[in-house]
Amino acid sequence: MSWIREGELNLIEKISANVLKAGPMPKHVAFIMDGNRRFARKKNMGRQEGHMQGFNKLAETLRWCKHLNIPEVTVYAFSIENFKRTKDEVDGLMELAKQKFERLLEERDNLEKHGVCIRVLGDLNMLPLDLQQVIAKAVLTTRVHNKCFLNVCFSYTSRYEITNAVREMAWGVEQGLIKASDVSEPLLSECLYSNNSPNPDLLIRTSGEVRLSDFLLWQTSHSCLVFQSVLWPEYSFWNLCEAILQYQLNHKSIQKARDLHREHQASLQLEADRACVAEHLQHHGNGKPLDAQRRQEALLHYTACREERVQDFLESLKHKRDSYFNNLCSEAVLA
Amino acid sequence: MAVGISYVSVYDNHGIFRKNNSHLLEEIMRKQQDLLGVDGSKHNVEFLSNGSDKHQHHVVSCRPTVKVLSPDDGKQSIVQAAQQLCRSVENKERSSRDISVTMLDIMLRESKNVPDPELVVKFGPVDSTLGFLPWHIRLTEFISLPSHRNVSYEDLFGALQRYGACQQRLGQ
Repeated sequence: MSWIREGELNLIEKISANVLKAGPMPKHVAFIMDGNRRFARKKNMGRQEGHMQGFNKLAETLRWCKHLNIPEVTVYAFSIENFKRTKDEVDGLMELAKQKFERLLEERDNLEKHGVCIRVLGDLNMLPLDLQQVIAKAVLTTRVHNKCFLNVCFSYTSRYEITNAVREMAWGVEQGLIKASDVSEPLLSECLYSNNSPNPDLLIRTSGEVRLSDFLLWQTSHSCLVFQSVLWPEYSFWNLCEAILQYQLNHKSIQKARDLHREHQASLQLEADRACVAEHLQHHGNGKPLDAQRRQEALLHYTACREERVQDFLESLKHKRDSYFNNLCSEAVLA
Repeated sequence: MAVGISYVSVYDNHGIFRKNNSHLLEEIMRKQQDLLGVDGSKHNVEFLSNGSDKHQHHVVSCRPTVKVLSPDDGKQSIVQAAQQLCRSVENKERSSRDISVTMLDIMLRESKNVPDPELVVKFGPVDSTLGFLPWHIRLTEFISLPSHRNVSYEDLFGALQRYGACQQRLGQ
């Protein structure tokens, strides 16, 4: 079954959507699509069928998001922890993923028509090579689309993602692109797999579990969290509306908290830059204290240099990641 | 303490607990006196408020521990650990390839010495973690209570019962 569902909302759905859209709307929603196996047990079907139903529900949810003008969706499809499942189930999920990504490539014209950009986030080198190759093709094929974005977390945990970001910054230091003192919260964010996306405004977990299970822990620090008891394959348009309503009720308080955090972060950065300038002047100055104007000039100059260094480093990182996908694709062609 | 929970941390996203932590300690001691009287001193709470606390090898210790946390213990701690690792790379003491999840986890434990919370009881109407310990909450269960004002033993016990009903499959 297809990734893209056509079709308008019905009248009642349309009216509800318009009511919601009169208030603040999330621009990025993340889903922990939990409950496929419990659904399968409930309906006396096999697990694999449960996962298929889960995929269908994803496609339907994307359609609802499109009608609600929610341009970005991130989903937790496969955790690194899920490799602990039985070989049969893991192989089944890998095969399902491969089929779905291959199907995606068949639908490329439709994806272009709707402007859908697909990204896959995770430690992809843990996956079977043929799956990596088809993922690379899907990502490269849709990369220039910019009307809506679907981020699929596959072979992912937040701790691995954060560790990878730290490793990348260390790589940047090794390459002489950045200094250790350039490491900051915004820079770490730019090194995450999700660096092309704004943080999720709303995180929804289905099936009644009330934990985050190592999903987007960094990015959701100031997101609205909604835990719903419905099993994922049974998720409805109304469940989604209910979650968005929760987001709207929390919007002001969370916005305030986000602003507070951002201000604090900015003052930490300023302090750090000042400290670096002071240290530099100590080592390279002529011993005479600088006047306030010179100090300010030195600070501005240091900040500008740091920002340029960081930009160059991020360009190199982007290039490294693009090469990974390009190499996989050219390997696939040669094979 | 009555139900055997040995480690409790408190957090607010403005860092007010951290700024007034001596006040908090006084209140805890006063309440203990009120409730336990003479016996209060047998159950002295270990009160930790800054990062450089002495190393604790076992979470389940004899003395119940209260830790005060603020937003700086969250992302900023991760950034500090990252800076430390990058400095050691800068000094050619290690390679970037050595950096692993375990390594980062150990560093965070050494610097802040906070065990992963199994349960977060969240008071208030805001449905967000507001920056609370992002690294440590990967498997934490979240239970919400409307307010910390006039919270009763039954409310907290109810939350613990709900926690008891949670089943973690740990990926499997």
